[in-house]
Amino acid sequence: MTRDTGEPVAEPVGTGPSVLVAESKISPETSVTSGPRRRGGAPGEKRWLAGVFLAPAAVLLLAILCYPLIYSVVRSLFSDGPAGAVGSFTGLHNYEEIFTNNAILRSVVNNIIWVVVVPAAVTILGLMFAVLTERIRWATAFKTVLFVPMAISGLAVGVTFALIYNDAPSRGLANTVTVGIHDIFSQSTGYPGEHPRDASVLTGSEGKGFTTKKSYPAGSVVELPLTGLSLTSPPPGLSAAQTPKAATALTGVVWNDFKLGGGGTVGRVDPGELGLKGVTVQALQNGRVVATTTTDGSGTFTFSKLTAGQFTLRLPHGNFTEPFTGLSWLGQHLITWAIIIAYLWVYAGFAMVLLAAGMAAIPRDALEAARMDGATEWQVFRRITVPLLTPVLLVVFVTMVINVLKVFDVVFIISQSAGANQKYAQVLATQLYQFYGTQQYGLASAIGVILVALVLPAMAFNIRRFRKDQG
Amino acid sequence: MTTTAGSDLVTGAINRGPIARVVARTSGGALRLFLIAVGLIWLIPTFGLLVESLRDPQTYQGGGWWKVFAHPAQLTFNNYSAIFDDSAITNSFLNTVYITVPATVLVVLIGSAAGYAFAWMEFPGRDWYFLVVVGLLVIPIQIALIPVVKLYGILNISGSLISVILFHVSFGLPFAIFLLRNYFAGIPRDLMEAARMDGASEGRIFVRVILPLGLPAIASLGIFQFLWVWNDLLVALVFAGPSNQPLTVALASQTRQFASSIDILAPGAFLSLIVPLIVFLAFQRFFVQGVMAGSVK
Amino acid sequence: MRSAKTSLAVACAAFATAGLLAGCGSSGGGATNTAGNTAAAPPPASGASSSAATLPQLSGQSFTILGQWTGGEQKAFQAVIDKFDSLTGAKGQYQAAAGGDEAGVLNTKVQGGTPPDIAMLALPGAISDYAKAGKIQAVDPAVASAVSANYASVWTDLATVGGKLYGVPFDASNKSTVWYSTKAFSDAGISSPPTTWADFLKDAKTLSASGVTVPVSIGGGDGWTLTDWFENVYIRTAGLDMYDKLTHHQVKWTDPSVTDALNVLKQLFSDTSLVGNPTDALKVTFPQSVDNVFKSNAKSAIVYEGSFVATTITGDKLPAKVGTDAKFFAFPSVNGSKAAIVGGGDFAVAFTQNKAVQPFLQFLASPEAVKALVSSPGSGFLSANKNVPASDYPDATSGELAKQMVDAGDNFRFDMSDQAPAAFGGTPNQGGEWADLQNFLKTGNVQATQQALEQHASAVKGW
Repeated sequence: MTRDTGEPVAEPVGTGPSVLVAESKISPETSVTSGPRRRGGAPGEKRWLAGVFLAPAAVLLLAILCYPLIYSVVRSLFSDGPAGAVGSFTGLHNYEEIFTNNAILRSVVNNIIWVVVVPAAVTILGLMFAVLTERIRWATAFKTVLFVPMAISGLAVGVTFALIYNDAPSRGLANTVTVGIHDIFSQSTGYPGEHPRDASVLTGSEGKGFTTKKSYPAGSVVELPLTGLSLTSPPPGLSAAQTPKAATALTGVVWNDFKLGGGGTVGRVDPGELGLKGVTVQALQNGRVVATTTTDGSGTFTFSKLTAGQFTLRLPHGNFTEPFTGLSWLGQHLITWAIIIAYLWVYAGFAMVLLAAGMAAIPRDALEAARMDGATEWQVFRRITVPLLTPVLLVVFVTMVINVLKVFDVVFIISQSAGANQKYAQVLATQLYQFYGTQQYGLASAIGVILVALVLPAMAFNIRRFRKDQG
Repeated sequence: MTTTAGSDLVTGAINRGPIARVVARTSGGALRLFLIAVGLIWLIPTFGLLVESLRDPQTYQGGGWWKVFAHPAQLTFNNYSAIFDDSAITNSFLNTVYITVPATVLVVLIGSAAGYAFAWMEFPGRDWYFLVVVGLLVIPIQIALIPVVKLYGILNISGSLISVILFHVSFGLPFAIFLLRNYFAGIPRDLMEAARMDGASEGRIFVRVILPLGLPAIASLGIFQFLWVWNDLLVALVFAGPSNQPLTVALASQTRQFASSIDILAPGAFLSLIVPLIVFLAFQRFFVQGVMAGSVK
Repeated sequence: MRSAKTSLAVACAAFATAGLLAGCGSSGGGATNTAGNTAAAPPPASGASSSAATLPQLSGQSFTILGQWTGGEQKAFQAVIDKFDSLTGAKGQYQAAAGGDEAGVLNTKVQGGTPPDIAMLALPGAISDYAKAGKIQAVDPAVASAVSANYASVWTDLATVGGKLYGVPFDASNKSTVWYSTKAFSDAGISSPPTTWADFLKDAKTLSASGVTVPVSIGGGDGWTLTDWFENVYIRTAGLDMYDKLTHHQVKWTDPSVTDALNVLKQLFSDTSLVGNPTDALKVTFPQSVDNVFKSNAKSAIVYEGSFVATTITGDKLPAKVGTDAKFFAFPSVNGSKAAIVGGGDFAVAFTQNKAVQPFLQFLASPEAVKALVSSPGSGFLSANKNVPASDYPDATSGELAKQMVDAGDNFRFDMSDQAPAAFGGTPNQGGEWADLQNFLKTGNVQATQQALEQHASAVKGW
């Protein structure tokens, strides 16, 4: 029963990982796929036996998969009545509605993104890890670490990542890291959120800066009230606002015109109100900036060089820049990618386990021989490992394509934390679930049928490979 | 010529060129470093979940789980003890076992039988049936719910454990048959022929030859089916009666409608994680051994 | 090969046809009879009281109830079931539609022919749908009289379809309450909460000046909060009659009354100094919007929603205490409108003729059942049962909330979007009211919103 490997066979002759086991035992002439050359046993007896082996599977598949599929195909041809009742026969109307519905078209686009990116990424990651861990002793520990995400329920995975992607840097890990990295390079200063209470003295916006409505002559004291400073936890280093005495130059004060508990006069500096330190003030004449200064510890500023003329004052927008609070991971543009990352985290382990099993069956001597002959690692990988692994790679890839077409759990749960942005993450399976939830069973069935139809190309590919092996 | 089992470091190749030699020397260390880094990053979400499960819920709004390192006082076992105190949850654990074990065993048995038939037996339409089976892989669970509920109503098994188990087995069969048929097809015919010559029946061949040789695939299938059924929520929600609910449903029943429920879900997720991890570690050795055993001739 | 394929196809088709016929034929009286007995209604007692004395003995009769309550609420409802069991000897089994999708689970069971004996429904629209499809049982005369003895007629009307009463009101939520952080108010020098819309906006501006970053926290991520905002404004600008007409789509969404209401709402929604950046508000889910007001270092001070805000505060274990740190004021009046309460609630509905069903419904209508419900700690439940005084509630806030609902009598109105067909008012899907109002929050375009609302409302059947 022993067969010689001789030299590595680069062309797999079956579809399936155990063909690798067989490689070391059979010679290339023996076909491993059964064909009409079968010997032994009367055809009738074989068929009866096949029936016995197939019966349990057949019963279950027919009752619980096949029947619902047919039911769905039929149901998708009828419209929806109230309370989920079956409406009238409408032919392909449901499908028409689906293809003209923007939300569903968006789901289709999302599914396409998923199918193009994820199976390839998962397979490559799994392959990479399977190959790399082959050479280390603690491979099992590493495999377990990568496998744990698969063992966690979909609900927990969704909740974990929803938390990671939480917008607030104090709550979500992703933004903590992003803001941390950003803040290494640039700090933000100023008073974000500070704004005038009304447009009586200053007009404008935080984005453009605030300008005084009137112009002031040199020698006057300009009071510029702003509000919005957090009084329960104010920025450090602020002290009480003080109105400066009049001088020949243009002076004034910028302060927070509100104190804890309210009260005081609007527009005047009251005791207990804080001056705003470090605010840039610009003096403008005829629209041009002629001088710039900064407020001191009690919010006062002085344009010592401006001793004559009329000026309007401006607080440029740089005083009010919002600090960087991270990216919107669950926002319109990133949400699908964020969910894909979560999915990769779970399924890389799946691919790795299967591929490692396949790799373990590759005969070592074939690889040794190649190395002895001077092949580099990369050549060994490309010319021997990958071809021998192709059957397993295919199983992994095709399974991932199918899993991704009907991905539901992770998308559903993470998108629930996205508020109104969840519509950007929808895939066909979640769309189906929505129609199911509002008892529009005709539309739901139509989507189900579309999903089944989408897998046909993958199946056609499989057929062709299968036939190629056979013939 | 036999293969050596378990050699984990491929002996050095004859590399050419100075760069190749440098790479060879550093690749070992760099590789290990890279894998350790990857492993650590992979662990972060799980680790975060673990820490959250050990934190007092009052601290959640105040900051992320990493604050725990500065304030270790936030840690508490209360979340876990709350779960253990809840008899509904501890009972549901048994239900999960009652559902998952039969579902896994049945899928393996029925799938193997069917996979063998598709791989090695002749009958009309075999290839087309196989493709239909694989096509069934894509059916989403939702569209099967209503028809199957109707069916169960007719068979009068609604709400029972059997109803949940059969549903899981059926949905696991397409992948099982796909995987096992491909795997079995690679088993050399001569082994079976020899057994047949010795007078063994098909059944014996199946049990004595196919199953042992197919162990790697069967073990993989077992792990994934076990996981999928263990962590399932939707199917149990629809089909299981109030006294048959598994852990996932019991935990979901604790979630609050208008408030976050991480203090329930996180410990629940970890408690639920223990068994599949044990199964994984057990099966993992199984299929590597199986492969090695099969390759020694 | 061909013969096998054909036989397979024939088998599948046979299955399918059988299934489809079973499904199609379930139009009339499709309730299955799980107990195997026909219902025997207890003789109505004189005076239509529903006290324990009139309940029959049901030794060992088991029945199932499906609801969406989990956790603490489930325990509270279990107390009610236990009380009924102790009075009658029956065995009620509650099943939680955990995962938040009671409608989906219930529908699956109903469509599949195995409904629960009783289900707690939050949407009167669903009651109407099921009644028209013949899936639910009308209540017995004894139950009907118990309901009318305990609830204002506006409640009875909600569950009446074609002249017959199908549902028993049970718990309720008061959705005309605006919650605020007392500390933020005192820091801003606001001595008493606002009573008019103009004052409300003024106070919000004061809060903004006092350093509260986003004074009014809007949970725009959950579109249904926006429908509640709209309904409270609409009932105050257009009045009770128009409210009813719009509820049943007898008035279009392009009506000028809707324009007025949206313009009032726009005064708040489009003011970024009061509600923050709309894109951010649209990301915030309802529980998060409550957290934003009551956590430490809160950046908001006011959140509007129903009485279940209190449930979130306790559920999320926020550092604010309901009644001292977190208080509510009634939704402000607009242009001098009268007090009005918009709210929601759950109805118990019978799907089968199980012997225990009608007695249980009768019990639920009684004050005793409500007392058992609200006195469980942490329940957060309220009821509009007029025979349950505020003193029966475990804390002053709950008592006050319930009292407002009962006092409103027939001026109470049920949540408009909950009465609409689910495809319009009950779903976050595009093409529904929730999504349209979310767009309104983002764009502030009144006319476009009205047109979208009308378009989507007309597209849905079942008004």
